[in-house]
Amino acid sequence: MPRKVCIVGGATTPFDYGPTGFESIEGGAAECIKETQKDIPDFSMRDLDLMIYSHFSVHFGHQLCSEWIIHDHLGLVGVPHYRVENGGNTGGSALYAASLAVMSGHHDAVGVVGWETMDSVSQSQGSEFIALASDIRYELLVGGIYPIYYAAMANKWMKDNNVSEEDVATIGAKNRNNAMDNPKAQWYRNEHKYITADDVMNSRLISYPIKKYDCCLMSRGVAFVLVCSEEYAKKINPDGYVTIDGMGLSSCTIRAGDRLNFPGWTERYGKGYPGMTEFGACRNAADQAYKMAGIKNPRKEIDFGEIHDAFSTSEAQIYKALYLADENNIAQFLRDESTHMHGEIPMNPGGGLMGYGHPVGATGLMSTIECFYQLSDMIPKKHLSRKTEVADAECGIVNSHAGTGTSISNFILRRC
Amino acid sequence: MGGETITRKKKKFAKEPNFTEKKTYRPEGVKETGLAFIGHEISEDGNTMNQFLHYDQLYTIRHGWNSKFFKGLLEGKIWGTKCPKCGDTWVPVRTHCWNLDCNLEKTEWVEMPLTAKVHTWTIAGWSGRSSLKRLPIVLVYAVIGDSKVAIANELHGIDSWDAEFGMPLKIVFKPKGERSGIITDFHFEPTNDWKPSPTNEEKERIKQLVEPVYEWVKTLK
Repeated sequence: MPRKVCIVGGATTPFDYGPTGFESIEGGAAECIKETQKDIPDFSMRDLDLMIYSHFSVHFGHQLCSEWIIHDHLGLVGVPHYRVENGGNTGGSALYAASLAVMSGHHDAVGVVGWETMDSVSQSQGSEFIALASDIRYELLVGGIYPIYYAAMANKWMKDNNVSEEDVATIGAKNRNNAMDNPKAQWYRNEHKYITADDVMNSRLISYPIKKYDCCLMSRGVAFVLVCSEEYAKKINPDGYVTIDGMGLSSCTIRAGDRLNFPGWTERYGKGYPGMTEFGACRNAADQAYKMAGIKNPRKEIDFGEIHDAFSTSEAQIYKALYLADENNIAQFLRDESTHMHGEIPMNPGGGLMGYGHPVGATGLMSTIECFYQLSDMIPKKHLSRKTEVADAECGIVNSHAGTGTSISNFILRRC
Repeated sequence: MGGETITRKKKKFAKEPNFTEKKTYRPEGVKETGLAFIGHEISEDGNTMNQFLHYDQLYTIRHGWNSKFFKGLLEGKIWGTKCPKCGDTWVPVRTHCWNLDCNLEKTEWVEMPLTAKVHTWTIAGWSGRSSLKRLPIVLVYAVIGDSKVAIANELHGIDSWDAEFGMPLKIVFKPKGERSGIITDFHFEPTNDWKPSPTNEEKERIKQLVEPVYEWVKTLK
């Protein structure tokens, strides 16, 4: 039997586009570790026996191997280190790598540091840089930014599933409003207002049916998560650790249009989940994670999630991929506000990418940290109130997502 | 003592290309300056400093086995590839079949018809820096001929709110002198016999969203 993998702590810097006071990435990483040490005073840097660095783009970082700068700064010279990069799923993939390292028995305490410094360039240049992760020979020049590819997928998906613009607009409002309870969140730190679905509907067109407030934020930020064996977790945080009971990582095509007819689709994803508008990799990664965690009825057995809301439309598509709803009831699921704080399965109580922010390499780790806080009763300490606490949560899902659904990971976290 | 002269011919996997046609489309003022620190700013309290790094680099995209597709664009042709084993055809092309049963079979080039069908569509009101002035842009994923996959490109020649799922398209190339072997050498247009459906609630909603985009683009320098 592989060893159990646990999370014992973690923290992020404030997320923002522009000065945060935590601008240097190595300084930000140090402060995230210091905050973690405040929460778990027995955690010593000397315990770390592997460091995994989670960073998406050198175009934003203007420094090759910037993880080496962070590693030296932390005084970890001699500890093994490597960087994981997997588009928007960089954070989830780094967590996957750290989990494998612990599971294998080869490492006991693995530090994962993620970051992105997207405010190094203008927002429009930043969008174009991200689009360099599309197939630039075919797609960069004919859309130029990811929201356009997502919008084309969402437009058909919404028609096929009877989901309206208003239905998804509620997600854009929900996540921003959740972020208003979270002082590190970019929405809280900048716009700082509660909004309604009407505000989302009235925001400027990005690419039909996606408007500005359906989109996530471009951010600077750093995050740290401490992944470890259960033995180590019991030693330094016996009452507050969380276990990773299930995990899955899957892939789909880089060009969404290729999804129309991949010959191995049914073999990989199972029958009846075809089409370019669905996140097959999310479904596949969920199948793996649910099987490993013994989850039969996700809607009943999972209490909440921190998921990759790059767009409000994609959050809705993810609900379906995670089996929270199907084509017959997804519209009603949204209209019932099932994923709001008062709903049956709150999603993104931490604010998500639309509220907290999306510094790519740090994002999946931010979602993990927020999920960890919920399951270790730390929300009252980390958020401004209990409004965004999922009371008595036992089980949460973390989802990290890349490309046009090109790489997706899901993790099932449970209270110890 | 001395090095031994090797007379055996070096193994080459492909004939080295001799590039005889070379064109540049470099806009005025683009220079390859490489890496340069070109300025800084310091906050009033003296505590925070930002520095400006400029990076201007020319990349060579070597199309290699995919070259026929991009060269075809210069000639006003759409080339696809076809697997001789399973018979699947694709644009965008793949030089080896991705059906695992075909075990990376080398594919054959086939000329595709200049007709397509919309799979899905969107109307961009925002884009990357280099495309802002062309907004709003109708982008479709469309299936060319009997291709098994859809390709993304712009749809011209209609009011943006009139785009439809399943609509028939023709492929229209730029005039020969304006082509540069890139995907935007062509765009889609509705076929001549296509007529837009009557206006409806969704079309009115799209009009409402798109109108401010036209106004905003006018303000761009």
